[in-house]
Amino acid sequence: MHKIYNFISSMKTGLFLLLLIGLASAIGSSLLPSTFFQTPLFELLLLLLLVNMILCTINRIKRTSRVLISKPGSRVWLRQLGIISLHLGIVLILIGGLVYSTSGQNERIHLMSGDQVDMGQVLDIKHPFTIELDEFRIEFNEDGSPSQYISEVTVLEQGQEVEQVAISVNYPLNYRGVKAYQSSFGYLITTQYVAKNNTEKVEGFLEGQWLEPADTNRRIKIYKYIPNFNPEYGMASVSMRPDNPHIVFSVYEDNKLLGVGAAKINEPTQIDENVYITFSGVEPYTILDVKADPGLPLVMVGGIILMLGVCLALLAAPVRKKNSVQT
Amino acid sequence: MGSMLAMVVYVVLFAYLLSAILYFLGSKTGKENILKLALILAILGCVLHLAILVMRTVLTGMLPLTNGMDYLLCFTWITVLMYLLLTSRYQLKSAGGIVMLMSAILLSLVLVLMTGQLGSVAPLMPALKSPWLTVHVVTAAISYSAFTLAAGLAVMQFFPAGRSIKDDYVYLLVAGGFALLSLSIVLGAIWAEQAWGRYWSWDPKETWALITWIIYAVYLHVHRTREWRGNAARWMVIGGFVLVLFTFFGVNYLLPGLHSYA
Repeated sequence: MHKIYNFISSMKTGLFLLLLIGLASAIGSSLLPSTFFQTPLFELLLLLLLVNMILCTINRIKRTSRVLISKPGSRVWLRQLGIISLHLGIVLILIGGLVYSTSGQNERIHLMSGDQVDMGQVLDIKHPFTIELDEFRIEFNEDGSPSQYISEVTVLEQGQEVEQVAISVNYPLNYRGVKAYQSSFGYLITTQYVAKNNTEKVEGFLEGQWLEPADTNRRIKIYKYIPNFNPEYGMASVSMRPDNPHIVFSVYEDNKLLGVGAAKINEPTQIDENVYITFSGVEPYTILDVKADPGLPLVMVGGIILMLGVCLALLAAPVRKKNSVQT
Repeated sequence: MGSMLAMVVYVVLFAYLLSAILYFLGSKTGKENILKLALILAILGCVLHLAILVMRTVLTGMLPLTNGMDYLLCFTWITVLMYLLLTSRYQLKSAGGIVMLMSAILLSLVLVLMTGQLGSVAPLMPALKSPWLTVHVVTAAISYSAFTLAAGLAVMQFFPAGRSIKDDYVYLLVAGGFALLSLSIVLGAIWAEQAWGRYWSWDPKETWALITWIIYAVYLHVHRTREWRGNAARWMVIGGFVLVLFTFFGVNYLLPGLHSYA
């Protein structure tokens, strides 16, 4: 039994595991799909490392306890403290990661201006709340490239407004253990047309959706919104700022592609004899990543302790003086 | 502006190469005045190199830390600066040749792989607009420089000319680089969590930075043991440097992903 404990807790085993994880990561990163890192095999390696490091750290604390108690403030004491901290930090990070993989939650939500989402329906959380999107906008640089993506939201609890938050990239919402990150966005294309039952309709379509108007066999795929259209650039927008907005669409008859067009906003577009559709507007919607990670505080503390420990160990590093050897 | 910058890069490159040749020559012949000239050329190159960094800062309106080319310019400069500062205090003359040669080769990659980018100015994309960018990139750059220097010293230790290079020098450089790399990885994770909601996604850059970290961690544990000290430890330091190069270049050119800024 003693032998097994020694084996599991030895530094040699730990280093061997580290190298194995390094090798597995190298193979996974270059040859295997990214899902490799979530496989039970890889997670087992990390778990074994965690067990080994917990034992190693405890062993080390026991072995250096005499130094820690008797010589506080000395160079050796500082170094030992640094080394213990850095190992402890790694242990906390691994535990935090384990907590996330067992009880963390991650979902995506789509919101248009005015939409409300009850977080209690999206995630299983103790303190549900609601967020309402007031506005999603993109701020642009001079050259038309995006400067920032901003979702202005209001946080509500039981119908009462609690606070207003502007979620943008690098500035997530952080409320009662839930974090919401600006992840992506899309466009809803408002289209006027006459439906098969001969009523006039004004409807929002997502990019890629089909439209089947009345009085024709032809179908239209509302393909893409291009904010800054230039035929020389084809399907790619010159920039993200809506300097020349167009809607690209394709027309099919009997599953055969008849042609592709690019229409301006509010420009009636002919589909067939006496059949017209008009793209009357484009409205963006925001996509937020919402996450509940109970392991995050552990990972953060672990990271900070790791950084402090590694600096301490370095600053108090032993330098060989003539013939004396220090570790 | 781009072509003017390229010219200065050529001049710095020339200074470093000439310095490297003189260091090798001076080491072989033992002539002090050749070594002195090598040092002067290295210092001149370093000052001009700093001027390039200043010009990039003025041109873009921000510190040269936000793209691959600026990062390469930075970390090669820090490598030369670090060597010059250390050689004024410790016996590292015999490594001058290899350090200046490595710096010259790394700098030349700006001209070979990143032609035309010296004059480019682009606004920052939203993901890069973060207070974490500076600390994450600066710690990475200094750690890369320390690892580069350590590898240069380790290579010289295989030759009789590198007699005066102590194992302790290599160890301290690796320890310093390891500390800074640890900081960079953690700071990067903190930033990733703020930007993307995940502190670790096993993307190529993160993964290979971790693999690099692992090799040096193993070195730090075993470098004084009977089985590993001497040549085996030196190979680990060199191997670590190869991983540093792969983490920077290999990942950008062979394994692109979310992280492909630098």
